[in-house]
Amino acid sequence: MDLSLTETQEMFKKVASDFVKAEVPAHLMTRWYKDKETFQPRLFRKAVELGWVGMMLPEQYGGAAMSAMDCGVVFEELGRGPVPGPLFSSGVLAAQAIFEAGTDEQKQALLPAICKGESIVIPAINDKASSWGPESVETRLVKTPDGYLMSGTKRFVFDAQAATSFLCAARTEEGQVVFVLIDAKSPGVTVTPLVGFLVSAAEVRFDRVRIPASALLGAGGSDWRTFDAALEKSLPILCAYQVGASQEVFDITCEYTRTRVVFGQPIGRFQRVQDHCVEISIHLDAARWATYETLWRLDTGIPARAAVHEAKAVASEGYYQATNYAHMVWAGPGTDYGHPMMAHSVLAHTLYQYLGTPAQHKRLMMDTLYPVS
Amino acid sequence: MDFSVSADPPHVVEFRKEVRAWLEENMRGAEHLRWSASWSTRENEEEYRFRRGLAEKLGKKGWLFPMFPKEYGGAGLTMDHQIVLETELFRYGLNLSHVFYTLARIVAPVLIRWGTEEQKREFLPPITRGEVCVWQVLTEPQGGSDIANCQTKAIRDGDVYVVNGQKVMVGHHVPPDFLWTLVCTDPGGKRHENLSWLHIPANLPGITIQPMHLMMGIKNAVFFDNVRVPAKYLIGGENNGWKVANTHMELEHGGDGRIAMDPLVERVVEYCRNTHVGGRPLIADPRVRDTIADMMIELNTLRRFNQRIYWHRFTKRPHPYGGPQQRYYQRMMRLRNAERLQQIMGADALVQDLSVHEVVDFEYAVRTGPGQLHGGGTLDTDRLIFARRLGLGRPVQEKAPETH
Repeated sequence: MDLSLTETQEMFKKVASDFVKAEVPAHLMTRWYKDKETFQPRLFRKAVELGWVGMMLPEQYGGAAMSAMDCGVVFEELGRGPVPGPLFSSGVLAAQAIFEAGTDEQKQALLPAICKGESIVIPAINDKASSWGPESVETRLVKTPDGYLMSGTKRFVFDAQAATSFLCAARTEEGQVVFVLIDAKSPGVTVTPLVGFLVSAAEVRFDRVRIPASALLGAGGSDWRTFDAALEKSLPILCAYQVGASQEVFDITCEYTRTRVVFGQPIGRFQRVQDHCVEISIHLDAARWATYETLWRLDTGIPARAAVHEAKAVASEGYYQATNYAHMVWAGPGTDYGHPMMAHSVLAHTLYQYLGTPAQHKRLMMDTLYPVS
Repeated sequence: MDFSVSADPPHVVEFRKEVRAWLEENMRGAEHLRWSASWSTRENEEEYRFRRGLAEKLGKKGWLFPMFPKEYGGAGLTMDHQIVLETELFRYGLNLSHVFYTLARIVAPVLIRWGTEEQKREFLPPITRGEVCVWQVLTEPQGGSDIANCQTKAIRDGDVYVVNGQKVMVGHHVPPDFLWTLVCTDPGGKRHENLSWLHIPANLPGITIQPMHLMMGIKNAVFFDNVRVPAKYLIGGENNGWKVANTHMELEHGGDGRIAMDPLVERVVEYCRNTHVGGRPLIADPRVRDTIADMMIELNTLRRFNQRIYWHRFTKRPHPYGGPQQRYYQRMMRLRNAERLQQIMGADALVQDLSVHEVVDFEYAVRTGPGQLHGGGTLDTDRLIFARRLGLGRPVQEKAPETH
């Protein structure tokens, strides 16, 4: 048993932490989230230069062959920003999906470009807001003499505004789910930001988009199982990001309880206020250690699927509840869109939904452990 | 990072074989026994005698306190050896600190920390060898969680202390050999500077023990009537008891951690596979599955909190809020699980099942919901300590006292 980070991981952590402090100060971060301008090309370029985009990929494809835990350590620190941009959606999830499913030609053509940031590939998965599984894929792929026509509407595409291309789940006329690479500038592609209590999310419509046969991922087209394999590798990295964000919420909230004076004393001396911070601490640690154990399972080769779903449920719930309890402490000031708490609230709600809610992941965890025959 | 507790490092591979073989030999004859919990509504003399005998056999090998020095009855082993013992005993439904009904897991480390060399050599080996049963004797009728408000007096008279007072919520259904007792040795003295600890032989004249029948089982009231306790049983110095109490309370407040996984979920799943409603097993009901998922995730969270505490303790790195966090979380989780079990199983969750070990009985799990919100303080004292250790409302986080 060893529950400590290695020296190398501590170094990665420090580099990421310094990056966040320098590049994502609170006043800039709050503005980006408030104005929904969460794709900041300059910021993304710097992350590319640090080797963080595609870092889990093998070196032959431009990655750094980082372990899941190493990657998780970096993303936890990025979550403290929280650093916006397609570092996860393109650099981890799409990269892993292409790595799992692509032909070697496709991997050679696509993955180095993702790592260099020249290509930002954004997954576009579900046609229904309430589901993220294969049953939610209704976008149609119809065969034509020279390829396919694709039509459908993806209801929640995270980081869509950053996309140079989409990795789109679609259903063939035979009913198979396949993954298609589509240039974001293709005729028939429309990106509409979703307005409301969410961020970095858009609806992407595909209206009879022409698709060459070569755009199908994998020989003969990949299926859902390969994407599931990519999710298994990627979700814990998103969890680590949520852990870092929850830690930041905890830290700024506890600091506020030391400095905010009401009724002649710091509010942190009131037990009712302390109780809110105690709840945040529990959610934070539940999420952190579920995530770390899952990353360890992935790196060790121990079966991790159920743990991945558990970690996603716990980390999403953790970040969501951390912001709720923090609002109990911050009260009015925390609801000002100029305050960092608002960025966290909107992001926590968005990530609660992204790639499946806690309830959905708990179902998947149970289906993995106790299948009903 | 390495979360494994069952993949052995090379230096303990042979030890696991040794322990496994030893337990196969020494657990023979226990197949029909069902273990009662450390706080129990069951009383089974045969079970008690078996467990006490097992503790003594483990103690002879130094395995009850494997990491303790040999001169104090331990075996001088490492954390990895302790993990082997814990996990092997768990296969039989037992854990090391509760092999038999003693709170030695608290008293022994306190003695290590605060006893004189002479006291350690005299008092520790009987404890670490499992030869004596020790109760901790703190709570008073008027004090509750406020243990500093101690009214049991121990007045020095020559070479003895004369003890008068009453304690409640003490021990369990098994008689004690020693009473590890918090007393007031300076009735007129300043709060926190008037307390002491006496390791009192339970057979001294003037001690009366009366059972109390509570939701979770048997506890006792202990009355001291002019009990004359030789001064050699004073541990940690006269009027220095609050400092000693800090070590004691840290251990009682979850500061020692553990690594066993609660088998509740597996039991619930088995029940749901075997119980059919309308021709379908309960395990196929989506609402049942969702409820089991919540139960499982919370039990996993508690396991990780405990594992983290355990690791911090044995690597001697500070984790000051771990104990109160774990205890508060466990209490709230048990309350939620009490409701979940009833939602899944209906009234079956409320019926005692004597064919299984008590700690895995569903009925027991339901009672622990409301029944164990207290014990070594309340869930609110857990949160108070937790908050201090997080540094809330104060410039500096409170440090946890040393426990080893």
